[in-house]
Amino acid sequence: MATYEVFLKKDGKDEYRHAGALDAANDELALVMARETYIRRAEGNRVWVVNREHLLMAGDDFISPNADKPHRHHDGAAVAARRKAAREADSSEAGNDE
Amino acid sequence: MGRTWQDMEAFEAFLDDGGIVEVDDHMPDEYRHAVFTFIEMHANSEYMGGLTERDWIPKTPGLRHKMSVLAKTQDEIGHGHLLYMVAADMGIKTRTEMIEDLMAGRSRFHNVFHYKAETWGDQVAIAFLVDAAALASQQAVFKNCSYGPYRRILKRIISEEGFHMRLGEDRMRRIAEGTQIQKDIFQGALDRWFWPALQLFGPDSKPDDKLLRWHIKSERNEVLRDKWVQKFVPMMHSYGFVVPASDLAYDEDTKKWDVGPIDWEPLKKTLAQGGPDSARRIREARDNWEATAWARRCLDGAAV
Repeated sequence: MATYEVFLKKDGKDEYRHAGALDAANDELALVMARETYIRRAEGNRVWVVNREHLLMAGDDFISPNADKPHRHHDGAAVAARRKAAREADSSEAGNDE
Repeated sequence: MGRTWQDMEAFEAFLDDGGIVEVDDHMPDEYRHAVFTFIEMHANSEYMGGLTERDWIPKTPGLRHKMSVLAKTQDEIGHGHLLYMVAADMGIKTRTEMIEDLMAGRSRFHNVFHYKAETWGDQVAIAFLVDAAALASQQAVFKNCSYGPYRRILKRIISEEGFHMRLGEDRMRRIAEGTQIQKDIFQGALDRWFWPALQLFGPDSKPDDKLLRWHIKSERNEVLRDKWVQKFVPMMHSYGFVVPASDLAYDEDTKKWDVGPIDWEPLKKTLAQGGPDSARRIREARDNWEATAWARRCLDGAAV
């Protein structure tokens, strides 16, 4: 017996989503089990079934060095402040015209 | 892999903040065991419920109903399977160990599966009253469940239980529009199942209930039980049936039904495997498990 993870996708914009796991004797039976356990009421049009041994998994320790990279973001605050100041200057000029 | 918390206080602060625990997190042992036991009991109950449903496949009146009962049986056994997978991943018992404990009477399943379904009317009453009670409990867990894998699998289980409940009410409607004999049979079934269904919610939650504190349950037992009473008493009346509670009273001020004092002895007996039908249920489940061993051997043989 091996444990498999099941991913389902409906046709359309949605991505594949993890549905759950199952135990099966081999790949062919895993597909049958996936259909009979997870796809009985049109939960998806496509299915991925992956032997858990073949999943590569990483956690926080592996990912966290990537979390501290401010140069990959830009909040645009200085530009926004300039635009806001320009808008305010425009409207106060408009106010002076009245 | 996974997150670690310094102590129980930090873990509980994480939960109170709406944190969701994942399978590879280093959760406190106490939490792991409490959640595991809760899921195992849910899995066992789905499995035992599926076997009850299966008993009625040959006896279900009419082909259309028979097909629905087949679908429902597959749903229940499937729910058991999904939940055993989630429970096994917690690393306390394997799926086989859980099933063997169930067959040996060493682990628990819900009170309602310790009673005998005498007639087809009982099956209808179970689908109407018990499935609704189970659904209400599951929805209350799903709402705020801090254990991610359980919460995600509950979503799917709940949608299928909704189908069972609608099926139950529709069958009751047919009986309510049927002959006097049908109505009498169904009233007898309601008399047998009203109290066990109500007791499924359990006695009032204790003030220090860990499942509430750790955001597994989102609602106290007595609150869920009362909601069920307020919904099902009027519904039974509207279909022309009698609620089998001698102290049943309606409070004009609060606009609420009160079923009177609840005797918790029957629930306690079922939790100790001493319900009216516990011995037969467990024996038949075990016989069935042993009789299908050949199929599991074939599957093992197919393993590559």
